[in-house]
Formats: sequence, structure tokens, C-alpha cells
Amino acid sequence: MAESRRTFLKQSAATVAAVSLTGCAPEAAGATPVPLPAETLRAVADAVLPGELDEDGRERAVRAFERWSEALEPVAELSHPYLVPEIRYSGPDPRPGWVAQLEGLEKECESRHGVSLSDLAVSGRRELLARPVADTGPGLGVPQQADHVALALMAHFFGSAIATDLCYGRAIRRELCRSIEGAEDEPAPLGAAP
Amino acid sequence: MSRAVGRTARRVVESDVCIIGGGITAAMVAERLAERSGASITVVEAGERTAALEERSDTRARMLAYGENPWPNDHIRGQTGTGAMYNSMVLGGAAMHWGGAVPRFSPEDFRLRSLYGVASDWPISFDDIEPYFQEAEERIGVAGEQGPPDCDPRSKPYPMPPLPLSYSLERMREWTEKTDIPFWTQPWARNTEPYQGRNVCRRCDTCFVCPTGAKYTPDFAFDRLLADGRIDLVTRTLVRRLSLEPGSDRIAVAEAVDRDAPDEPVEFRAGTFVIAAGHAWSSHLLLHSANSRFPDGLANRTGNVGRYMTGHWYLSGFINLPLRLYPGMFVYNSLLSRRFASPGPLDRYVRHDLRLWESNVGRGPRLKGEDGQLLWGDEIMADWRARTESESTARVRAYYDLLPDRDSRLTLDPGKTNELGDPLPRIDYRPAQESIDLQDHTVETISGRFEELARAAGGSMRSIGRPSELWEHPGGGCRMGDDPATSVVDRWGRTHDHENLFVVGAPTIVSGGCANGTLTFCALSLMSAEEMQKELPSA
Repeated sequence: MAESRRTFLKQSAATVAAVSLTGCAPEAAGATPVPLPAETLRAVADAVLPGELDEDGRERAVRAFERWSEALEPVAELSHPYLVPEIRYSGPDPRPGWVAQLEGLEKECESRHGVSLSDLAVSGRRELLARPVADTGPGLGVPQQADHVALALMAHFFGSAIATDLCYGRAIRRELCRSIEGAEDEPAPLGAAP
Repeated sequence: MSRAVGRTARRVVESDVCIIGGGITAAMVAERLAERSGASITVVEAGERTAALEERSDTRARMLAYGENPWPNDHIRGQTGTGAMYNSMVLGGAAMHWGGAVPRFSPEDFRLRSLYGVASDWPISFDDIEPYFQEAEERIGVAGEQGPPDCDPRSKPYPMPPLPLSYSLERMREWTEKTDIPFWTQPWARNTEPYQGRNVCRRCDTCFVCPTGAKYTPDFAFDRLLADGRIDLVTRTLVRRLSLEPGSDRIAVAEAVDRDAPDEPVEFRAGTFVIAAGHAWSSHLLLHSANSRFPDGLANRTGNVGRYMTGHWYLSGFINLPLRLYPGMFVYNSLLSRRFASPGPLDRYVRHDLRLWESNVGRGPRLKGEDGQLLWGDEIMADWRARTESESTARVRAYYDLLPDRDSRLTLDPGKTNELGDPLPRIDYRPAQESIDLQDHTVETISGRFEELARAAGGSMRSIGRPSELWEHPGGGCRMGDDPATSVVDRWGRTHDHENLFVVGAPTIVSGGCANGTLTFCALSLMSAEEMQKELPSA
């Protein structure tokens, strides 16, 4: 499994690069937002993303989230639900709140434990994170509507095609445009997929 | 050809045929008339162009990432009615957004009164419309699988072979073969071969915005017609009302406003006018065109404009299957059965279709386990795997026809106006009493069939929802009939009251059937175009 996963993660990175080159990745639509505090975000990722991703995999997941966050456009017109004439818009910008949450987590960690979040054991980080996310769920929802940055990061990763493939251990490659030939084939096990 | 006369105080555009609306039925009429007549044709669309094909990969990516609308400028601010209706006002209309499912209505749909003693018969039969179904399928480019002939009658093969089933749908088809219910592949307006210069489907699974052009959208047809110089297309121009020739019931002018120059009225003059504005805006235009001779609106001497608004409801459920499926490999394909849309003799009326999709309902990642305990990282993954390793979910849905009441109605809403001060449409759908009386029987029958399906594979019903109560694939408001006392247009879509005014497509249907309506709307439009041709210059 470990070798398959490593192969899969390398392939995922290649896929992300290819997608960017073919223009299928979302482009930034608005002004550059204040960046999320990188070190604290990574300390959160270690606590909320699967350990089986390993360090490289988590780093790729965090970078994907950062790119997604940078290109997010607040109050964007949303897809129209079927037969609903009213136009709906996404909510206000969640990123300033996420920045404040990450800064707050650092401060609380220093106050409670005297160390930075990245120096706190994963179990301790989860204790700090449990309070703000406890009232949500059971579903993960969509990241742009997440009340807390930890939830947004989890929703972004677990909602990805990469996470689906990891769960099933198969190269399902959701939402990837590809030939209709071979549609009936069982998806290849991770690591065996071309 | 049409000509634009100046850009002074009033602009006049003249042509043989003026088509009001730029959606899929307008494309059908324009294309047929352009090919088979020598008429000059003007298409007037209130909206504008939306994302071109080369932009759709980018808008698709943002839709996937953020849920954003992939069709910029696809509606007009303030031009929004009340009730279930599309908000698309764009070149290509609602068919820019569609998924592309194109089943035909069944022979029974046209003879409900004769066969089952409910609702009304249409003035046309399935045999009358069948050649136009075929023509619409060829114009659109439909990929389909021939079903059992008694449930899926057709005189010629589909234009293209069916879309292949995914691995999951193949397994689901094996499951359905353990029942007596025949299933086959849903017909789709998506290419399985290069067709009309468009690509083959690449199962991107975002059919609401197809980044490859494999799904038919009407802008492709308009672009061809424009390139060939066969139509004039006037966009961003809203037709507000129709007016009569002096001393005659013939339509003389479509009065419009150029949204870029609202103080400069535009007049469209033509020998034949075609309203192709969909189920809401067609009746709205007629009602808003009231004058001293037609105080209740044009084509409305018998008070039927805006009435019998129709569509269908659905019942859906989720089935637990003891199979490992892989949702996400081809979500926008499905299995279809129309066995119960053509049920033969019935003790009590109920007709519906059946569709099956793969689903991840109940099998996605989640933040809390069954005990409500918060999960993190590997725990989320383990919980997710445990729910997908040996079981899967199938989604099943049945569209059933809902028979419209005469008071299922579109009216002008004086309390809600657009930026020009014109009242906007309001739709209040209402089922006929006979349909209300059949509701429990319908739901029980369909639920029983869902459960039969679940049992066949050793599975179980996960849930059955409540009836949707959303009048899907809506139509009506200008229903067709031989008797002007109970209808607005004749079998050809020609209004009883105005010899040179046609209404085409969705507004003219008598009942909503139990299948997506678009192909039927297109076939009806082509029938109308054939009648129009008789009075137009030959090609």
C-alpha cells in the first residue's frame, strides 16, 4: 500500500501540473488576499489530514488549498439551481476570518502550552481544534462555507478527486476529461494506473 | 434579407420571419426554415452570448472549485418572474445549461383521455410527431440505445451509438436483469462520434457546462446559420409587445427595446411571427400585448393563454447495493426504463419512467462517526473506507405525469415589474383534482417498484423521498388543440386568433408526460416550421 500510495501521490502531483498547463485549474479572479499564515496552516494540516498522505502528500494538499484560497472570489454568482429564478451569490470573504483563526490558534497555543502550534503534539493540536469545529458536521460541507479554517482545509482535501482515489485505492480520477473508450473498465488499482 | 433602417429615433428591422427568443426551439425553427425556404429570418434575443466554447474549460474549473455559475451574463437583472421557471435569458436559452437527456414522449402521452380517461388527448398522435422526433434527434445529434420496441418505438435508428456504460452502471445493469423491468441507456444529446464538426464526449462529468462541445447547445446552430448568412441575429433586444395591423387580426410589429439604447425603440416587421420564448415568457408576451381589440391579451379570445401550465413531479430514493461500485467515473450517464410509461391497460391510472444512477449518498467522507464523535485525518479515511468497501448506493428516480388544472396558471404580476415598468410573469402551478386523487396510488405504486428493484439484488431501500412538487421540464400556457374554446394554438402551433402568429415548443404541450420534455418541444417546433414553410418563398 505504501509504495502504491507514493506512486499515486507522484501521479497526483503530475496531474495537478498538467491540469494547470491545460488551463483547467481555476484562475485568480480578484485582488490578492492576505496570505494564510503558512507555518500555522501546516501545523493544522498535520493534525487534520490523513497521516497516510505522509509529509510530501500533506504539503501538496496544503499548497493546493492555498492556491484555491488565493483564487477564491467572494460574493460570486453561483450556479443556478434548476427552476429557481432568483440569482444566488456566494458569501463574503472568509479568508480574513481564517487568518484571524490561525493567528488566534498560535496565541492560544503559546498561552496554554508555551510552544508554537507546530511544536505541540498532534493530540494537543486536535484538542485546540476540537472546540471550534465540534458544533459542525456530520458532513464536511464545502470549504468556502466553512466556519473554521481547519474545516475548510479538511473539506478541500476530502472533497478532492485525490482523496476519493485514496479512499477506494483506485484511479477513479473523478471529473478528469478522458476518452469514452474504456469507460466500462474497472478502475485500475493505485500504482498500476498509467 | 432583413434590413435595419437607420439608427434614428426608431429603428425598423424587416424580414419574412421574425423569431422571438433565441433558445433551442428557435434554433430548430430557424435552421429548418433556412434550409427549406428562401425566407429572410430575424432572430431576436433579449440576452446576449455567454461563454464561448474556448472559455468553457476555465468556467468549468471555477464551477468545480467554487460552485460559480459557468455561464456569465446568462440572465438579465430585474427580468425575473415568480414561481418555478428558468432565469436564463441568453443566446441558447436554458439549453446552454441542460444535461442533454432527450427521451421521447410515449405514444400514450398523446392519448390520455382515450386510453385512460384522464386529462385531454392532444390533437396529434405519436405517429404524427414521430418523423419530427427523428429530425430533432438528427439536428441535435442524439446518441442512444434502442429499447424494447413496445416501450421505445422509432422508425429509424438513433443518429449515433449510445454512450458506453461505466463500470458501475454495467454492474447495476446486471442487477436490474434480475428483475422483470427492462433497462437501457438514456439517450443523450452528446456525441459518441464526431458530429456536425463537434467533438466526441470525453465524460468530463460536468454536462451543465461541457468544455469539449460534445453536448449540443443551440449556439452551435446559430453560429452555423450566421456563418452561412442565413439569419440575422439581434441580441440584447427585449420584445415587449406585439401589435396588430390596422383593421386586421394579423400581427404587424414586435415592439422591442435595445438594452444598450433603451430610449430608442426597435420595431421588427415581418410576415410571420414566431414566439419561441419558452414556457414562461411566451404566455407573458401574449398577455402583455393586450390592446383594445384583445383586452385580455393576444391569442386569448377564449381566455386560455397562461392556463394549463404543466410539467411532472418525481419520486426518488436511494438503494443500498451489496456491490462495490466506483462513483465518479461517468456520473452523467444513467439507465432508463420506460416500461411503466407504456403500461398497457390499467385498473387505475399511474404512469412513470425509472432511472438509475450511481451515487455516493451516505458514502462520502464525514466529520463525525455514527456515535457523533469527531473524526480526524486517518479516522475520517477509515470511516469512509468502511462504508464503501462492500456496499454502494444507487439513486433511483421516477418522473410521473401530473395532470394540470385549467387554473394552473401564468399571470402578469402587477406587484413585480422590470426596469421598464412592465409586469413580470408569475406562475402558480396546480394539479387537476383527478391528479390529486391519484397521488397516493401513484406514490405507493412507484415506491413498490423501488423496493422490488432493491430486493432483486439482495439490497435494501436506504430512503424514499417525498414527491418533488417541482413541476420539472415545464410547459403549457398556450396549449394546442383543435377547439379554440379549450386551446390557444392549433396542432401546428398557429394561434387560433392570428393567422400569422405561431407559438412553438414547450408552451404548446397539453400535458407534461413523464420524460424530459426538450426533444418533444423541438419536434413540435419542427412541425410548426413545416406549416410555416407553406406560406414562405421557396428555397
